[in-house]
Amino acid sequence: MTALAQRRRIRRTALIVCFLLPSLAIFLLYRILPLGWNVWLSFQSWSPLHPAHFIGLDNYAEMWSDDDVFWQSLRTTLLFMASAPIAIVLALGIALLVNSDLRGAAVYRTIVFLSYPLMTVAVGIIWRWMYDERGGLINYLLRETGLIDKPIPFLQSFSWALPSVIVADVWQVLGFYMIILLTGLQGVPLHLYEAARVDGAPAWAQFWRITLPMLRPSLFLCAVIGILNSFSSFDLVYVMTDGGPAHATELLVTWIYKTGFGQTRFDYAAALTVVQFGLLLVLTFLAHIASGGNAGAEK
Amino acid sequence: MKATALRHMLMRHAVMLVVCAAMLVPFYWVVKTALTGENIYEYPPHLLPKDPHLFNFVDVWYLIPFPRYLLNSVIVAVLAVLGNVVFNAMAGYALIMPFLGRRAIQLLLLACMLVPFQATIIPAYLITARLGLLNSYLGLALPLLSTIVCIFIFKASFEAIPRTLIDAARMDGLGDVRILLRVMLPLSKPAVATNVILSFIWSWNNFLWPLLITRDVQMQTLPLGLARFLSYIEDTTGALYAFVVMVLVPGLAVFLLAQKDFIRGLTAGASKG
Amino acid sequence: MRGWITSRFMLIALVLALLVGAWNLYVAAHAHGMVTGQVVDATGRPVAGAVVHMFGRDFVSEQERGHVLSDSNGGFRFDSNASHVVQLQAEKAGQKSPRMTIRLWFRAQDVDLMKPLVLR
Repeated sequence: MTALAQRRRIRRTALIVCFLLPSLAIFLLYRILPLGWNVWLSFQSWSPLHPAHFIGLDNYAEMWSDDDVFWQSLRTTLLFMASAPIAIVLALGIALLVNSDLRGAAVYRTIVFLSYPLMTVAVGIIWRWMYDERGGLINYLLRETGLIDKPIPFLQSFSWALPSVIVADVWQVLGFYMIILLTGLQGVPLHLYEAARVDGAPAWAQFWRITLPMLRPSLFLCAVIGILNSFSSFDLVYVMTDGGPAHATELLVTWIYKTGFGQTRFDYAAALTVVQFGLLLVLTFLAHIASGGNAGAEK
Repeated sequence: MKATALRHMLMRHAVMLVVCAAMLVPFYWVVKTALTGENIYEYPPHLLPKDPHLFNFVDVWYLIPFPRYLLNSVIVAVLAVLGNVVFNAMAGYALIMPFLGRRAIQLLLLACMLVPFQATIIPAYLITARLGLLNSYLGLALPLLSTIVCIFIFKASFEAIPRTLIDAARMDGLGDVRILLRVMLPLSKPAVATNVILSFIWSWNNFLWPLLITRDVQMQTLPLGLARFLSYIEDTTGALYAFVVMVLVPGLAVFLLAQKDFIRGLTAGASKG
Repeated sequence: MRGWITSRFMLIALVLALLVGAWNLYVAAHAHGMVTGQVVDATGRPVAGAVVHMFGRDFVSEQERGHVLSDSNGGFRFDSNASHVVQLQAEKAGQKSPRMTIRLWFRAQDVDLMKPLVLR
């Protein structure tokens, strides 16, 4: 009997291992191993033609003192992230409107969300065309309404390029924020509002005292997505400006791509990646604290 | 009282209509350009397509190897969808069984979710090169074959199935593989649907990874083809925009057909991060 | 099982497959590269013996792909057009017709031109 139980246990264990193995192998290959390899590579001098040797912090020192583009791309990445709060506030407004007993709310919701699941490369081309000097709708409308005399070359101008890319990015991701906030809003217990109404609390007080605190976990999620989004906007920047003009829209991730795959400097690109990932962790942690500690914790 | 309520409602509708217009106008502008006959750079641009025709779409089909790109994209998407459904269901099933180290593995998976793919591109490229999978369908699909979000979606769905049902099946002498196939999966259709849709859309839209590992035009997927088309003929004709429309339609269609599963999956996934 | 087959996804996939199949059959049956039409003069009378040139056009270059003579009713016929965009021009005794751009739905589609080439 015990031998049978023993055999069954071994079989069960073997099964669990077999079931978990494919997924774990993929995550090991494409998440965990790369992370370690990145850190190791960032302390090396290595390229496909030269054998690797240890150079300590030289890559980081170069980044710190010699690489202007790194600082520019860091600034752009942070500005990209700074646009997230604006988008989240917008999305919150829309979510509040759609959440109410509005007729056709489902249709509005679908339309606002529609751009999120689309191919980002295509979105980039759509917005390139919207910003175009001659065929673009934006310049046309601005000129028609007399706001400007000459067309603005949005994506070719040093000062306009970044805001333009950010607008396109917000356009795509807004619906996702809205859906997350909507899910949060639907989780707010109605009896809280009823109690507040009995106490005669005005609408704005209900919003500040009930809605906003209850939405904290959702707002934290939106913040994390906003942070991640500044890294994953590679496709958009690649298509719309390719980091130009004069690196005005260079994100860390596009600079990593260019140094790694354009200049074949994998070692230096790995060091950049480590910085990017560190930044991501720090900011996520800060958002975690700002949203009141355990907001993002699993139930 | 009634009048103010009505005014409020109208104002809400007005605001939402403006928002929706802002969301939809870029689509309209691209579709309009895709249909425009000759010079798309005419100023002032026409708000309606001038001499509309559909031949831009024919041009796209022949100017670039569109059928080939489509085939590549479909193959990679099918691999990704199959991999996700099979591997994630297996992992999700393993995770509802009690075993030593289950918590550790769950924590590991949650930690992995924090690693964005963009932060792994260089080693991921080098690893794929060592495996000899550069420029191959398997290499294109490999990082997409299993997704942590989707594993947790399966796990949650399996957990909702009453334990007694599983025990009864086991009493009947069914092995675990059969339990998974005959009991769990038929009762988790929404989870399967979410897996299929999410993995399809992620694979369909994926750009950075194919950009890194395909060297050959014959292996490029649609997003790469789109970016290449842009740099190759520049945006001089409506054909580019016809291409954009052709690429967007499948994604849009899948999304509109399965909106509920898609949104549920995304929010479930997001709240796990 | 029946639920899976009649679900909207399966139905749509089925309809799509049928449409693609039907379209391919249609293409296979109508892709001989035949382009037929007529040459007339300014008054609308058929012109025999006019030279009709076919130009291939893409975004980079333009070159002549062939030419035929119109018959006694002004009719002409190409049988080996392999492109999806061509231009036609008729010419006789110093008179030329304007170039007519013909866009086809697929390569080598058989077409009978509604409008004649008008010499002037």
